[in-house]
Amino acid sequence: MNDTYDLRDIAAKIESLKKTALELRDLGENFPALYRNARRILAGVRMLEINISDISDLTDLEVS
Amino acid sequence: MWKDQPYWNPVLETLPHEKIRDLQFRKFKNIFEWGYEKSKFHHTLYEKAGITPEDIRSFDDIRRIPTVEKSMMRDIQRIHPFPYGDALCVPLDEVVEFRQTSGTTGQPVYQPDTWQDWEWWSECWSYILWAQGYRPSDRVFIPFGYNVFVAFWAGHYAAEKIGAEIVPGGVLDTQSRILKIQELQCTAMMATPTYVLGMADTARKMGIDPSSLTVRKITCAGEPGASIPTTKKRMEEAWAAKVYDHAGATEIGAWCFECTAQSGGLHVNEAFFLVEIQDVETGEYIEEPGRRGKMIITALDRQAQPCIRFDSKDIIEWAPEPCSCGRTFRLINGGVIGRADDITKVKGVLLSPSAIEEVVRGLDGLGNEFEVIVDKEGDIDRITLKVEIIKGREGERKQIEANLKDQLRLKTNLGYILEFHDHGTLPRYDVKAKRFKDLRKH
Repeated sequence: MNDTYDLRDIAAKIESLKKTALELRDLGENFPALYRNARRILAGVRMLEINISDISDLTDLEVS
Repeated sequence: MWKDQPYWNPVLETLPHEKIRDLQFRKFKNIFEWGYEKSKFHHTLYEKAGITPEDIRSFDDIRRIPTVEKSMMRDIQRIHPFPYGDALCVPLDEVVEFRQTSGTTGQPVYQPDTWQDWEWWSECWSYILWAQGYRPSDRVFIPFGYNVFVAFWAGHYAAEKIGAEIVPGGVLDTQSRILKIQELQCTAMMATPTYVLGMADTARKMGIDPSSLTVRKITCAGEPGASIPTTKKRMEEAWAAKVYDHAGATEIGAWCFECTAQSGGLHVNEAFFLVEIQDVETGEYIEEPGRRGKMIITALDRQAQPCIRFDSKDIIEWAPEPCSCGRTFRLINGGVIGRADDITKVKGVLLSPSAIEEVVRGLDGLGNEFEVIVDKEGDIDRITLKVEIIKGREGERKQIEANLKDQLRLKTNLGYILEFHDHGTLPRYDVKAKRFKDLRKH
């Protein structure tokens, strides 16, 4: 099942989305509608990270 | 097509278990470090134990970390930063949601959540609902109080997230809720087992057979009933629906769920939670299936008020076999079997209220409600079980009583004083039922 997804590629796209949302948030310092909506997008981005980015490099991990 | 996919997350839910363990370990280190650095309460706790984030190098190290109990959270709250106190890990103005525990075992514990935490809550529930067959084509009726208790709040947002249509049944009374289900042809519902059975009774009194309604999936929470086979059967027969269990808690999150395979166990969402089982008597950690202990749980991504090695007092055991659904998340056998503080010794025998529920709900001729009272006659423990006989079956009382005595003896190894009451006279509960009362002074 895992072979059908290029997790690293998806994770890179998520990272790009996060970067954009962070830039929007920073631009919204004096713009509530921009700041708060960018914050909410970032919460959604975190869910993408939990679902995908956090496991994209699991093959590199080894724990006793 | 994504809607046909059996798993909400086809990667995480089928990940080999050793990879899940790797993920858990890494995430545990992160959340431990977060709590250590951001929460005065956690920092002090770990400092006293002489443990820092650098000391966590293996799962054995995790087991040396002190657990947190609900009573400890009560002690630190209602002070600055008001009302959450020293376990708050984010600035107060980042908290967007307040919930509190039910207060069943004492003063309620407050639970703050950031919007990210709230997204996380609904993400946990999205795994549950997807595994139980909820899809965008569902119209989901949610009959609960929409108040300070977390109950089905996250179920509401998860149903929304997966694309289903929600009908919030908030302040409606039970009759109005049934009529609304009928009017809108709702296909799914979320409620406590007590309320699922209570709604069925009310529908029948209204002249509506609940099985004639269109609800075909019911997700239960709040009580163990949906994992008690006889209670599940009563609900499924009443509504002609599949009834699925899940378990969660305000201070933890929604941590396990039954899937459509209905294998007799609940999947622990091991990508989001680290569940450890500890022998109540010896403190030994249990890895093997079939051995009961209390659950120590960590929510791996919850931030505002972290849940790190929380002593939930839920009694669980690992199931011996994996589920046929293909998920690699381990199963706990029979769901949450009881609570460490509910399972009590009576006449020297361990008694679990859910064992009594299984007997009562399995006997033809008895109603759904019952009450158990444990007290003392002199120095001797005494158990009184109050049950209701279904209307029209009063003439069979002797036979029912004999069956009940036999089954109770078989399933619990204890003798009871049995009281038979008219149907509809024992207390009814809308939310969490309190059917077990231990009046002994310990």
